[in-house]
Formats: sequence, structure tokens, C-alpha cells
Amino acid sequence: MDYTKQIKEIAGKLFSEEKIDVFIGYRNSGFDENQVPVLIHHYQDVDQLVFTEKSVFNLTNYLKYEHTRNKRVGLVVKGCDSRALNLMLTENQVKRENLYIVGIACEGVVDEAGQKAQNCLECVMPDSVVFDEMLGTPSGKREYQVNADIRELDGKELTERLTYFEEVFENCIRCNACRHSCPLCYCDKCCIDQETSTLYHGANTTSSAFHALMTWSLHLAGRCVDCRNCEKACPSHLPLHLLHKQNEKVVYENFQEHQAGMIEGDRGAFYKYSMSDPDDFIM
Amino acid sequence: METEVIEKIVSIEKPHLEAPPDWQPVIMGILCNWCSYAGSDLTGTSRIQYPPNIRIIRIPCSSRVDPWFIIKSLQTTADGVLVSGCHPGDCHYISGNYYARRRFLVTKKLLNFVGYHEDRVQFSWVSAAEGQKFANVVAKVTEDIKKLGPLRLYKKENS
Ligand code: SF4
Ligand code: SF4
Ligand code: SF4
Ligand code: SF4
Repeated sequence: MDYTKQIKEIAGKLFSEEKIDVFIGYRNSGFDENQVPVLIHHYQDVDQLVFTEKSVFNLTNYLKYEHTRNKRVGLVVKGCDSRALNLMLTENQVKRENLYIVGIACEGVVDEAGQKAQNCLECVMPDSVVFDEMLGTPSGKREYQVNADIRELDGKELTERLTYFEEVFENCIRCNACRHSCPLCYCDKCCIDQETSTLYHGANTTSSAFHALMTWSLHLAGRCVDCRNCEKACPSHLPLHLLHKQNEKVVYENFQEHQAGMIEGDRGAFYKYSMSDPDDFIM
Repeated sequence: METEVIEKIVSIEKPHLEAPPDWQPVIMGILCNWCSYAGSDLTGTSRIQYPPNIRIIRIPCSSRVDPWFIIKSLQTTADGVLVSGCHPGDCHYISGNYYARRRFLVTKKLLNFVGYHEDRVQFSWVSAAEGQKFANVVAKVTEDIKKLGPLRLYKKENS
């Protein structure tokens, strides 16, 4: 999967026709094999752009920050990223007419070890669902499967799961990078900051991590698109996908097979309801 | 000579932790204004007894319950949480409780997934006319939480 040439051409064309103010893409990091996101503002910088299976980040995250607000933006989205973009559009975070979307029919990205990433193995929609231009050959929707780690943890006893998650929450340093790197966490005032942002106040306790991560993942339940931007940002390498995948599973199994951001205009699972939703757990 | 057997109460999630001898559970009750809160009022005015372990806060509608409220309660004083709203079809705002029950299910399952006993967080529909039901629900939840013992997970240090 290498669309470097096409993306350079497209970005160059957009700049020379003055259709965009900024283009969000990937460039080589310069000091290792990895890629980093880059915001291109001028035609002469277009040559920096690359796209390969190392283009792991979700660029729609940059749409929520000031440097792209109310500007005309071109960006590259893979399948999962485009689902996040779909939700941002539905939730009125960006204007469609300000965007030029280069969709990718994705063949999967690699993790740090160079293997195909877990979320790509289980990907339900590799093709971009919203785009102005599509690169590659679409392969279509795939069957949902329960995450392998969730299946394993589900088979364990309550106390074993507790021990496991205690260690997870203990290792969180409350840097909030997970929240900042998620395109769907765009609130100006976020309630998890009530436990004061803690690198400064020494409150990076297990308790505060539990509070923050649980609240955060429940705010993303039925919206998370499994791009794993959060997990890649986490300096402690915590398995944050476990919380999201668990919620995703409950949502899929109970709420008419809801999958976040698949259809244009479709809202998160918590913003709609059905008369047949499960009720038997309520007295 | 017979000796009195005192059954020790331990936390279900942390069996090595024992409850102090005079321990009483604290239950956070989150009740919607139009049905459950009015129902609890009726319980009081009808002089029906119910356990005093519940601490009630009133909210406008069960869909006002951000899962955050439940997490926050569990992280601070509460040993258990009861959230109650209007019966399906009775919502003062027509559909608030339908939205709410989706969140309740996901919250309950996630808490169970990270190691909470599933009875720590419970939900009920209580209408303004169901004073007796409210008393029964509180009695049941209190009984359940007493069996589970004190909650000792992820508690804030000074709570
Ligand atoms: S999750 Fe799917 S769309 Fe996203 S990078 Fe992996 S294969 Fe591509
Ligand atoms: S965690 Fe919740 S409140 Fe905070 S930014 Fe995300 S969605 Fe908003
Ligand atoms: S929570 Fe993580 S995986 Fe889910 S959409 Fe946000 S960044 Fe992506
Ligand atoms: S990025 Fe990782 S360490 Fe930082 S707050 Fe999130 S989970 Fe904790």
C-alpha cells in the first residue's frame, strides 16, 4: 500500500487551484522509520507527503484544533478515520464544504513490531465511507467479530479481571494524551478534568485514573471507531482498546448491531433508542 | 457451651479485606424528579419504612445520568448505586428513559468487566404512585450490598 505519488499530486493540484488553505497528511519522521502527521500550508512543501502502511495516525483529530477551524482543509483518511469523520460531521464539529477528503481503500497498517495491527485484522470497514476522491480498490464491508483480547478476558474470573485492570489503572500517569488524541473527544470543558490535571498536582493516583478512563471510555461508547489513536498516544502503552472494545461489543450485541460512523448522518448509539432495547436488568 | 458465631463481612472483590464490625453500606440513590423522586416522597408520606442507607440526589430525568455520575459515586463514598427513573412510556420528557437505559446497560457491563460485582450498580423503574415498590427496591439493594461487603476498589484516599 503506497499512495505517496497520488497524494502529492492531489495536494499539489489543490494548492495550485487555491482550493485549500492547509493539507493534513503524513511525512517521514526523519529520525526513525516511522511517520508523523504533518500540516502543509504551501505548495512547495507538498513533497514531504507520504502514505504507506506506516501511516498509522488518525488525522481527523487535527480538525478539532484551532489551526484548522474555519479553514479549507484537505486530508487523507483511511476507513476507520473516515468513520470518525462521519461522526464529527454529524455532530457538527466540521463543515463538509470546508473539506476535501482523500479516501483510502485501506489494506491495513502495521504496529510497532511491524506486524499487521490488531484493529486492522478485525477491521469492519477498510474503505473510506466519506470521500471526494478514492485511492485504491474498495473491498467492502466485513463481518464483525468480537475482539480477541475481550474473548480471552471474558473467560476469566471476576477477581482475575480485577487484578488485571488494577495494574492498568495503576500505570496510567493521567497525562490525558488519550483524550487529546481522540478525534471524538472535542469538549471545551471536559468532566474528567475535575480530578485536576494531575501531573501538576500529584494526583495521578489509581483512583483518579479509574475515574478518568472509565468516564472517558463511556463517553465514547457507541462512537469509538477503533482507530487506536488513543492507544498509540499513551506513553504508558496501556491497552486502552480493551475498554472501548468491551463497550463496542455490548453496543453491537444489544442495540441492533450498531457500528459507529458507518452511515452518513448516523449518530452514536447513545443518541438514539429502540423500544426493543434490553430492559430485563432493570427492576 | 455454645459460642456465638459472628459471620464476618468481607468485600466480595477483595476477600482479604474485612468490614469493620459496625459497618453499614452507603448507597447512592439517583432519582428522577417526576417519577422515582415523587415515589420516594410517597413512601415517606405513607410512613412506609425503608433502610436509611440510601443517600438520594434528585435529577430532572434519568437521561440526565451521565455514566460519570455512577463512576464518581463509586470512586468516592458509595458502596453501591441505585439509579431510578420513570417506567418506559411514562417519561415526563417522552423518551428520556429510553436513552438512559442504553447507557445503564453499557455502564453496568463495563464496570463488571473491570472487576465490579454486577450487583454494585442497580437500576429500577419506580412511578410516582409506587411508594411500596420504592421501599422494596431500596430494601433489596441494601440487602445485596450488605452481602457484597464494603467497596474497596479505586477509592479516593480521603473518602
Ligand atoms: S482499522 Fe481498517 S481502515 Fe483503519 S487502518 Fe486498519 S485496516 Fe485500515
Ligand atoms: S471524556 Fe467526555 S467530556 Fe471529556 S472530552 Fe471526551 S467526551 Fe468530552
Ligand atoms: S477512543 Fe481511541 S480508538 Fe476510539 S475513536 Fe477515539 S482515538 Fe480512536
Ligand atoms: S494516555 Fe495513557 S497514561 Fe496518559 S492519561 Fe491516557 S491512559 Fe493514562
